[in-house]
Amino acid sequence: MHNPMRYRSYWISWSALLALTVVMLATETVPMYHTIALALLLVAMVVKATVITAWFMHLRFERAALVVSVVGATVLTAVVLFGLIVPDGMAVLRHTTQ
Amino acid sequence: MTTLHAPEHSSPDASWEGGVSPFGVSWQKLMMWFFLVTDALLFAGFLASYGFVRLASPAWPDRSHVFSLPFIGFMTFVLITSSATMASAVGAAQRGNLALARKFVWLTALGGLVFLGCQAREWTGLIREGARLTSNPWGVSGFSAFFFMITGFHGTHVLIGVTILSILAARLGRGRSSAAGVELVGLYWHFVDLVWVFIFTCFYLI
Repeated sequence: MHNPMRYRSYWISWSALLALTVVMLATETVPMYHTIALALLLVAMVVKATVITAWFMHLRFERAALVVSVVGATVLTAVVLFGLIVPDGMAVLRHTTQ
Repeated sequence: MTTLHAPEHSSPDASWEGGVSPFGVSWQKLMMWFFLVTDALLFAGFLASYGFVRLASPAWPDRSHVFSLPFIGFMTFVLITSSATMASAVGAAQRGNLALARKFVWLTALGGLVFLGCQAREWTGLIREGARLTSNPWGVSGFSAFFFMITGFHGTHVLIGVTILSILAARLGRGRSSAAGVELVGLYWHFVDLVWVFIFTCFYLI
């Protein structure tokens, strides 16, 4: 077990997560290009996920072997899953709208 | 007769330096991580199939008309806050202050209950408007099917988490749980929060 983190670190992480949530909700009300809003949402999502896994779940204090196994396996499988599905979805949409 | 000798100078690349614990964590914590990875893939499957149907559909209901986004924002706030109290419980337990850890665990369970109450309210509202697993008033049948499946599975995880947190708090009160136990439950609870990050973004906002 690693040394316990300071309580302050948890509440800084909480503030960051809350601020990102507000930014994400603002994309619904603040007028902006759809592509920019989409990029902002995806970046905020990834940053939030990183904050939770790194600080709340203490993954940044674990050995690289565990980090690579957990993050690598999940991200790789998810990317392959989405990577294979997106072209299929687009093809069905083209077929439907023709 | 020949004798086998180990090479005097073995290559560093060929040596095993992981020791008896290559991941540097207890087997309980390692198993919890492996469970969380498999559970994450379950939700990845859900969201990937949702993405497929969403991309393949020429039209999709406007979420801001179906959901109350400020209300969903409040639910997100509750879950994030409960994650922070859970992290504080882990910190307190690791410092040996199990009484304080127990208080934070109860606060986390309370956050989970508030989240479940909000979800029940949201579900009730949509069901009253006519949303079902197979149909809904917004035109695309897959919309409500994915909504109930994805948020339902997540809500079930929250319910299981609240149950485990309550058991943990009771055990801490009797001195039957340790800092390692609090950390394991903490990992599960943060995972519930992590999954919500993806659901919140992909289902409610994009």
